[in-house]
Amino acid sequence: MRGRKLKLSNKQKWGYFFISPFILFFAVFQVYPIFLAFKNSFQKINLLEPEKAQFVGFENWVTAATDELFWKSVFNIFYNQIIFITLTFVIGLTFALLLKEITVAGSLFRTIYFLPVITSITVAMVLFNFVSSPQGPLQSLMMKWEIIKEPVFWRFSKWLPMPILAIFNSWKWFGVQMIIFLGGLASINQNVYEAADIDGAGWFKKLFKITLPLLKPQIIFVLTMNIINGLQMFTEVFMNFDLLGGPYNSGLTPVMYLYAKGFDKMQMGSAAAIGLLLALLIYTLTMLQMKILNSNKEEAIK
Amino acid sequence: MLNNLSKPTKNKQKDRTPIKKVKPKMVIIYTLLILGLFVVMYPFAFMIMNSFKTGPEIMHQPNAFPTELSFRGYIGVFQTLNIPRLFANTIFVAGSITLLNTIFASMVAYGIVKCDIPEKEILTKIILASMMIPGILLLIPTYMMMYNWEWVNTYRVLIIPAAISAYNIFLMMQFMTQIEDAYLEAARIDGSSEWLVFWKVVLPMAKPALSTVAILTFMGAWNDFFGPLLYIRDESLMTLQLALFKFQSSIPGENLEQIWAATTLITLPVVIVFFFMQKNFIKAFTGVGLK
Repeated sequence: MRGRKLKLSNKQKWGYFFISPFILFFAVFQVYPIFLAFKNSFQKINLLEPEKAQFVGFENWVTAATDELFWKSVFNIFYNQIIFITLTFVIGLTFALLLKEITVAGSLFRTIYFLPVITSITVAMVLFNFVSSPQGPLQSLMMKWEIIKEPVFWRFSKWLPMPILAIFNSWKWFGVQMIIFLGGLASINQNVYEAADIDGAGWFKKLFKITLPLLKPQIIFVLTMNIINGLQMFTEVFMNFDLLGGPYNSGLTPVMYLYAKGFDKMQMGSAAAIGLLLALLIYTLTMLQMKILNSNKEEAIK
Repeated sequence: MLNNLSKPTKNKQKDRTPIKKVKPKMVIIYTLLILGLFVVMYPFAFMIMNSFKTGPEIMHQPNAFPTELSFRGYIGVFQTLNIPRLFANTIFVAGSITLLNTIFASMVAYGIVKCDIPEKEILTKIILASMMIPGILLLIPTYMMMYNWEWVNTYRVLIIPAAISAYNIFLMMQFMTQIEDAYLEAARIDGSSEWLVFWKVVLPMAKPALSTVAILTFMGAWNDFFGPLLYIRDESLMTLQLALFKFQSSIPGENLEQIWAATTLITLPVVIVFFFMQKNFIKAFTGVGLK
């Protein structure tokens, strides 16, 4: 017994050695910055003169919580994400279902659908800028076919930027979701479908009663990742708009607002408060979504 | 042998459905798939086409094929941007991040899964929780840290904070739980230290998981724009993404052909690598989804 215990502790010593990089990383690059963010959010602080930081109590928090522009940016990102999540979900699932049916050239389709995913956002944004611009090919085609009467300057419009960026982003990202769904579909036992066929279930019935419930792990994963990443959209708007998101602030997202506050106006304290507020929002949403989806899961088991 | 046996039965199952019923369905499916192909490919085709056009032609005939092959864009880009340097920079940064991530992620995962440390449960929870920390929360304080440490405008700031990711550790942990302890015990009985067990036994077995981590990390680092935008000032240190952004905003409207040549140059190597390794890429992403 004693010998075994000694041996174990040697193994454990190595265990601590192996995990030490994470502990170090976690302490230095995650815990400490969160602590700093809290501290900064109660200070009036300029990056260049940190020694002059003043304690201002909840001022930054109040400013952030009552800031119309901040809430406008939150609204924008929700407006964008609702369209984006629905679109990518539908497109990703549709193409996964289509690809599952075919036997010829499946990998060719998969590969090409995946191309936008591996393209960098900056390159994709340059492409998209020209394709969607008033002189660009899309609009000139639409004019020719008389879908639109005059060129649309969507960047300067009140309601168009978010849906258009959402469409663009689903072009860029549906490949990932398609691949994840395809993996999920492959793991579904075919016998279930055969049983449903015998019962005379139609295509839609099979989709809603079998496919979607059995894809739940993949769906939860995709939605969680979408919420955590999607609410932090930056490059897309940064490359298209000025720091306040165009004339109606319709392109302003929370991260860009934070960037403008912190790095343009140098108000680090107020930017830290905005970051914390947004993190709180993301956290609440993720938890809420997990709770809803998991409660459904329990019902399904019952 | 087994493969030969299983194939015919598979075909038999398909033959059971009458062929006439299948055909129109297949036509619809392939039509939709090809339609999708066009939508996905169009911007790329547009990009390559335009990189061989002259500026005025891009403006006035955006949809047409180039009337003559013009290399002005490519020549211009090589004259204004230090393309080899930019590639070297990006490869260095993304390569270091990838190397460090594969090593650290597998080390930490091994420590948690295979070394029986009592804090196993708590560590797993911390790793899951730290995956949920939104990057935006850390943005301002991390910038201040880096500024105070005078790491701004060095590669340290891009590489070191990105050297470990909870996400990668989690992926490796999932893989490690599948490795049977018997292999490790055998090596331990032979007198190998834990480091040797990890290095000689576990790492070679973990190759598929390591390639997943490597591909996802390299792609993320290669395409990162925000990090270089925040921290890199010197032109000699710039990465491809940042250089493309600066290049685009410095010449609005003029030298269109150069922009298209630059985007083509930046995209093409990635696409070529992707086509050679597409199975690994796609596997990497599928693995992520299967929690």
